[in-house]
Amino acid sequence: MNYLLHLVVMLSIYWMLALSLNLLLGYGGMLSLAQAAFYALGAYTAALAMVALHLPFAVAVLLSVALAAAFAFLVSWPCLRVRGDVFALCTLGIQVVVYTVAYNWMGLTHGPFGISGIPKPAMFGIRFVEPESFAGLCVATAALTGILSWRLYASPFGRLLRAVRDDEIAAVAAGKNASSVRGRAFMLAACGASLAGVLYATYVSYIDPTSFSLDEAILLVSLVIIGGAGNFRGPLVGTLFVLLLPEALRLLRVPDAVAANMRQIIYGALVIAVAYFRPRGLAGSYQLE
Amino acid sequence: MSGIRLERISRRFGGVRAVDGVSATFAPGKVTALIGPNAAGKTTLFHIVCGTVPPDTGEVYVDDRRVDGLPAWEIANLGVGRLFQDVRCFPRLAALENVMTGSRRQLGENPLAALVLCRAVSRAEKTNREKSLRHLGFVGLADKALALAQDLSYGEQKLVAIARMLAGESTSLLLDEPTAGVHVDMAHRIMRLLRELAATGRTVVVIEHNIEAVLQYSDWVYLMDRGRIVSFGLPQEIIESREMGEAFFLKGSVAEA
Repeated sequence: MNYLLHLVVMLSIYWMLALSLNLLLGYGGMLSLAQAAFYALGAYTAALAMVALHLPFAVAVLLSVALAAAFAFLVSWPCLRVRGDVFALCTLGIQVVVYTVAYNWMGLTHGPFGISGIPKPAMFGIRFVEPESFAGLCVATAALTGILSWRLYASPFGRLLRAVRDDEIAAVAAGKNASSVRGRAFMLAACGASLAGVLYATYVSYIDPTSFSLDEAILLVSLVIIGGAGNFRGPLVGTLFVLLLPEALRLLRVPDAVAANMRQIIYGALVIAVAYFRPRGLAGSYQLE
Repeated sequence: MSGIRLERISRRFGGVRAVDGVSATFAPGKVTALIGPNAAGKTTLFHIVCGTVPPDTGEVYVDDRRVDGLPAWEIANLGVGRLFQDVRCFPRLAALENVMTGSRRQLGENPLAALVLCRAVSRAEKTNREKSLRHLGFVGLADKALALAQDLSYGEQKLVAIARMLAGESTSLLLDEPTAGVHVDMAHRIMRLLRELAATGRTVVVIEHNIEAVLQYSDWVYLMDRGRIVSFGLPQEIIESREMGEAFFLKGSVAEA
């Protein structure tokens, strides 16, 4: 039972991350490798707020999201001056910087030793200590993120974001401030990722930088691409597929040491297969000829 | 409204003087044609008015408001609509979505408004949708509203771009070869539309290579050559002028034997 609840929690968290990245990658055409950095920012801010400052959970959430948005605003200034490949490189830089700071700032993050003893969330008089209640909180938060994402994707903002992705010059000629649109998408995506980070930190109650490395950022990109970027189903399908497939290895009783390597091989093969056979992702929209 | 006024506009690209000391007025309520050979600087002049290319020197006024130096999107929002020579539809948006994007200053384009003011945003969307469908119907593409722009033919994409420009409800319209690549009937239809738009007091400027269309549908003609305006006048006068021959053909004179 606990194993299933664990899966539910992880699926919720990764769905939120995939939804936020999909806004950038699928709708905005911005390949961001910095989503794990905002994920880390959310996790570390919440952890420090609750462990060091003894702030209540709700305040920690607000603080995390606000800080992620502010940081996104700050770095969007250099990042959004460039497009395409160079944008990806810029976000890669941010990812590496955040990871390196988390790994080396002993005074704040305890570096590789991480932060432990992160309390479980408590809100509205409920303490989400039991696995059942915590999974409920995660599902509710993920569902809320899903609804908000659905609204955003379908809104004039979503349409404008896709328009800017397709032809920035034409969008500007239609009176749209393209840089501001991209900046807003970048900030919203950062908020989503940081919220997922808060849940992750309170769930595992111990965080260290290894959970937020570049590998994680690439995993998130593969979630979105495998599922199908630029539509609402994609992130969900991608998350389910990529997270549940390795679990199937458990059923085959493959030894742990082998399973870890096999997982990497499967991810790689999966990305190649999807790129080759279903370039718009498993749940991408296809027209029958 | 007093149209578009250019004062001593110059712009160089490297060693090339793309636009060289151009002063011109595009009057409201008129269709003004901008003609001239390739590389005469016509499109660059459009870029300068729209703010996509800043002029090196000179001033641009739209309805008596100085606009040079403003960001391009702000100039567009002051009422300058544009049709690009290379069309520039949003390829992965449906035709209808292309036109809906053309509508200026939409409330729901602010993400927070889109999330919080759902009612107002969806009402505005409904109006926008109906309006955009009318524009699409006008250019004869109502049955292709849900097709992706990239799946349409070149001519159809051009019509979508025209509908998108109309959705902006701009007071000044700059069209770069609006009739190139579309069917003759449609070309006439577009030209008649431009006349109608001018009749409502809008400023319409057209870059055009089709001399017949120029003669038939424009009120005034500017002839450009090598970055300069070499002649201005009524269509018939310009077409028959010596400058026209010099710009497009050979420069020469008949000497007495």
